[in-house]
Amino acid sequence: MEKEEHLQRMEKAIIEGDRDQAQALAKEAVEKKMDLIEVIEKGYVPGIQIVGEMWEKGEYFLPELITSAECMKAAMGVLQPELEKAQISTKSKAKVVIGTVEGDIHDIGKNLVSSMLSANGFEVFDLGADVKLEKFVEMAVEKDADFICLSALLTTTMLGQKRVVEILKEKNLEGRIKVMVGGAPVNQKWADDIGADGYAENAMAAVKIAQRLIRG
Amino acid sequence: MGVTVSAKVIKDFKVEFDERRILGLIGYKKKQVTIKEPVSKLISEEKKKLASLLQPAAVYTIIDYRQTNKHPIFDHAQKVALCICTIGQKLEKEVQSLTQKNELLRALILDALGSEAAEEVAIQSDKILAEKAREMNLWPSKRFSPGYGKWDITQQRFIFGILPGQEIGVSLRESCMMVPRKSISFRINFYKEKKFTTRIQR
Repeated sequence: MEKEEHLQRMEKAIIEGDRDQAQALAKEAVEKKMDLIEVIEKGYVPGIQIVGEMWEKGEYFLPELITSAECMKAAMGVLQPELEKAQISTKSKAKVVIGTVEGDIHDIGKNLVSSMLSANGFEVFDLGADVKLEKFVEMAVEKDADFICLSALLTTTMLGQKRVVEILKEKNLEGRIKVMVGGAPVNQKWADDIGADGYAENAMAAVKIAQRLIRG
Repeated sequence: MGVTVSAKVIKDFKVEFDERRILGLIGYKKKQVTIKEPVSKLISEEKKKLASLLQPAAVYTIIDYRQTNKHPIFDHAQKVALCICTIGQKLEKEVQSLTQKNELLRALILDALGSEAAEEVAIQSDKILAEKAREMNLWPSKRFSPGYGKWDITQQRFIFGILPGQEIGVSLRESCMMVPRKSISFRINFYKEKKFTTRIQR
């Protein structure tokens, strides 16, 4: 198979949500000693970008987005260890610490955001649900993260998002580590009121906003 | 709080619903959208697992207005039915297990099926309680849950202060979140006069 054809099939596998194919093509690329960075950037990444565009046009829905993100993860699961073995570092867009705030054990929405960010090239550190508020900041400092993403599904727990912004201010980390918030009771006004840098209504919006914030 | 009431438990629910009811919950915007493979296959497969994962139960009581906390939402009610229902913890554990296996779409689908199953238990409990109101020659309101409209989510504490949620395995966390998550609590006001209710009466 020619290189161009191989890359196109990778793109297609992501668009069509064919996990087995995405993984098989990644293995083949490793066996053929292809340039794995090129494989990611010209094969898989364009696929996930097209999926995002199709979602924006209303041609794809959340399940298709997730399927494609899972394909991306499967392919990266093959490629990443090879890159590490060869000590080649991939260009991560930014580092993100994500979790559902203390007192709240909802995690499906947070998992979707985590998965979509990861599929779109962000390095994600997922702390899970019911996460102590200080833990977000500690982990962000430890990993030198660019963002903290906070999910809250209750009016009682959304106050935790406010507290994390306050902790960042107290530690003079405001601006250096950006905060994105989301969850059923959360909206743009809440994000503005508490001084968060972004509000994401859904997983794809989170990707867009994160990309926008990186560009500054 | 701490009113002693006699609570009753219901466990014989038959939870059945059209799987298309979950489409909105899993992100489809148009009701008539054609679900493509592999999504439609995954929905069918997860739906088949549902019966073995459900542990539906409800606990309810009917109290007099004077036993309430006199919140304005109880105004004009003669009696108030309080209810907590759940589908149990088994489904949540399976969702968690799927997530850990990176089966995120399956997890989302099963979680949505769980939400609809819990809603179905609430619908059936609501019907039973509305019937109780009619047997008392009272007019039932629609069902309302804490966190909606003027009834703040912290009013969960009032419900759990009266109803023994633990009888069906449901507890309330400090944040007013119920565990298991797929649980619904609600009230129905019973009125003497029809004019206080907007419920469509049969």
